[in-house]
Amino acid sequence: MGVLDEIYKKAKANPRKVAFPEATNEKMMQAAYETGKEGYIIPVLVGNGSEIREAARERGYEESVFEIVDISEEGYKNKLIEKYVALPQTILKEKALNRRMQNPLYYAMVMQAVEEADVTFAGIDNTTGDVLLAGQMIIGLKEGISTVSSIGLCDIPGFEGSEGTLLAVGDSAVCTNPDAKQLADIAISACDTVKALLDWEPRCAMVCYSTLGSGQGELIDKVVQALEIAKEQRPDLAIDGEFQFDAAISPAVAKKKVKRESKVAGRANIVIWPDLNVGNVGVKLIQQFGHADAYGPMLQGFNKVVCDCSRGAPVSEIKGNIVISAVRAAGRS
Amino acid sequence: MDRKELEAQVINMVATSYKQEASNLSMETLFKEDLGGASVQMVALVAEIENELDVELMLADASGCAAIGDLVNLIEEEM
Repeated sequence: MGVLDEIYKKAKANPRKVAFPEATNEKMMQAAYETGKEGYIIPVLVGNGSEIREAARERGYEESVFEIVDISEEGYKNKLIEKYVALPQTILKEKALNRRMQNPLYYAMVMQAVEEADVTFAGIDNTTGDVLLAGQMIIGLKEGISTVSSIGLCDIPGFEGSEGTLLAVGDSAVCTNPDAKQLADIAISACDTVKALLDWEPRCAMVCYSTLGSGQGELIDKVVQALEIAKEQRPDLAIDGEFQFDAAISPAVAKKKVKRESKVAGRANIVIWPDLNVGNVGVKLIQQFGHADAYGPMLQGFNKVVCDCSRGAPVSEIKGNIVISAVRAAGRS
Repeated sequence: MDRKELEAQVINMVATSYKQEASNLSMETLFKEDLGGASVQMVALVAEIENELDVELMLADASGCAAIGDLVNLIEEEM
């Protein structure tokens, strides 16, 4: 059974409420409808109620598959605001929140923050910047985490890694030039993400062009420093390095290059790139030469699961990402 | 609100968001060089400005301000 099949199975066993603030978008509504109709999620469409109903009717969808939330309905909105401002560490107050909630993206995230939805799924009409800003303002970042980042899950035919053909890599999409603290945050968040999604015991390697001091220079210093921060912040996690990529994933190379005990060397299931240049090129090499499927990017670092899908994504890809996000949300609870 | 009052209020909000002493900040304080903040602190500051001054700033515009004085100018334009 492929990795996506397993994720779909998990989603079906425990369908979560996914809020869609771009509900009238044709591709988004189709993906929400199909994943809802097939029993993977409970789709909650957030926006102008009559426009949503009209669009659903025109497209021939059964309205009973959806929960529809009309953002102009004051009673429910006020209840959400009341619950939200009572939460600890929220940064927007009632008046500003009320204004922001005229935008369905903010409305959906407030629903998620107060547990009326498990996931907010957006990004087809809104830009990545819009989604990240709303996420930071309404959902907030996890305690101790200073940056939003992402990981991708690669399914690489012929790769015999510690999780079979699968390898999680990050960050290949969001955090451009992380400093040591941010790099540590990316590693920590990545461990939490794969645990929630796949039930893996995370083994996270921080990679660069040196293995345990075989090279020197400021590019390596940053990775070594990040490793120290990550270990201090989360001693419960198996995060190790600095390793070259081959020493991270190949037991034979690790045996030669890593002359000390390591839970991670040669058996890493997560690889953390030193910056976005490496990450972007790295994931494209895996796709082009390794003929891999790459799922994601999955945003991480937020208090709850926030998703940004690519604006050019086809419905099939959107559906996969919706189901992945629902399973991540289920894994958190 | 006159300019002086606005400056004092913005300094207090920057101090809260960036966890600094207000007495160490001035209109010339630079966000990147002096405060070394991450984007998450700028988000908190934009939210605080929205709460207290009822001015909704674009994050990109606020992030484009080099010094606290530039941010005060931006807020004045939007008020």
